[in-house]
Amino acid sequence: MVPVLMLALCFKVDAQVLNDLGNIEMDERELYTMTKQMGQFINRFNYEEDQYGKKLNPNDPNFRNPKKRKDVLPLLFDLDNPRTAGALRDFFVEDLIKNNQYMEFLGGNWYSEVSAKFKWKGQMVDISMILVLEKEGLGSKWVLSNVFFSEFQKYFPQGELAEREKHFLHPMSHELDFMNIYKVFNDPETVEYYASTDYMPDYLTLFFYEIKQGNLKFDHVESVKFHIFQIKNWYFEVSWFNRSGYNAGWLISNLIYLKDEEKAALLKLYQPKQ
Amino acid sequence: MKKVLFAIAFAFFALTGYQAFAQEPELSPERKQAIDSLALEKVRDLSKYVKLIGSKNTPWSEANRVIDRAEELFAPDAEIGVSSLAKTKIEYYKVRQYLERLMRLNYDRVEIDWYKIQYVSDLQRQPDGTYVGVITIFQTFKGYDAEGRLIYQDTTKKDITVYVKRKETQIGGRLIGFWDVLLGDMRVKETTKK
Repeated sequence: MVPVLMLALCFKVDAQVLNDLGNIEMDERELYTMTKQMGQFINRFNYEEDQYGKKLNPNDPNFRNPKKRKDVLPLLFDLDNPRTAGALRDFFVEDLIKNNQYMEFLGGNWYSEVSAKFKWKGQMVDISMILVLEKEGLGSKWVLSNVFFSEFQKYFPQGELAEREKHFLHPMSHELDFMNIYKVFNDPETVEYYASTDYMPDYLTLFFYEIKQGNLKFDHVESVKFHIFQIKNWYFEVSWFNRSGYNAGWLISNLIYLKDEEKAALLKLYQPKQ
Repeated sequence: MKKVLFAIAFAFFALTGYQAFAQEPELSPERKQAIDSLALEKVRDLSKYVKLIGSKNTPWSEANRVIDRAEELFAPDAEIGVSSLAKTKIEYYKVRQYLERLMRLNYDRVEIDWYKIQYVSDLQRQPDGTYVGVITIFQTFKGYDAEGRLIYQDTTKKDITVYVKRKETQIGGRLIGFWDVLLGDMRVKETTKK
């Protein structure tokens, strides 16, 4: 905790420096250290703003300054979690500095996960919606790229390979006017085994269908977090920590060393159609 | 034939017009800073109005006039989304409804103050070209009973959407460009309670 406290001290602000909004005379270091917006997380991650939250001009010698960036980066981790407060974090920070790796708002490969409650056939259920930034027209917008809903996933279990291999239409079926096609529909639980090996269920379409059918009704958002795949060979998660102290706001809540080759499969879960 | 020529000419002008708009240069850091100041000015006005509306010393008729002024700062469809530590589900209010609730709070004395800190996000463009940003500010609220006892206190984080659009107006027959700033949805999240 000591390094964070040291960092917090560098956030001590002379009230005269800023064009004040309010008049509360109290220690505001907690509010300065808090990473208040996801955009601020990115700016701090890249060291594109100073300790007062003032944006640095790209011509400024402090812009992306590696030494200062190295000091600020530890503040962006959840220090109560051993997974994000130990040696792995230090390797990550070192890698970022050594290889000049930065986050980019419109750089793709980062996702928002919105966990929400819906009413489904009369009962409250949890659904996670995955959103991604998409460029359109003169700017960009967040769009839905996938959903996770256990009831949908239940319909498409992976199934045993041996069982899957039993279900197919032999290659000469066409000569018999597909008279054997009824087998596809004999057991609804295995119907998808007759699809292509590449077949992936499109949960987003199911989600839209259920909404259009009136079976699924939005209730409210429970929480929001971000999944970031932009950094070479790393994946991390950013969550909101609403707590007092010098380690609050948007912070890294999970960090995994993940080779880029392994990322591809995971990315398909977030954005099946890339 | 005339119709075809007209269609071609129309398509040409529509296309070149679109390109001229699409090629509008990105904002320079200096221009962004100027726009940030404009947006902050609106947020400052809002914070002043909120203080006045909440104050029990403000006469009812005056508070209503201030609500009118405050409402003008926002885009017509703006909403306020409020959640507390105990109730994380967001309650939605229209701007006027939110401010009227503030005016009618059942305390004998109310203190609303704002922290000096403010955070202004980078401006991003939405598909129609309008710039969108978010300004974060923090407010403390204290409610007292008739005996002067503090009965409720909280700190809230307010994330306010800011829309910035380039507009033109005619002054003395000349077209003058200006940046129009409007506030949009506001998210009010409780951070501490005593």
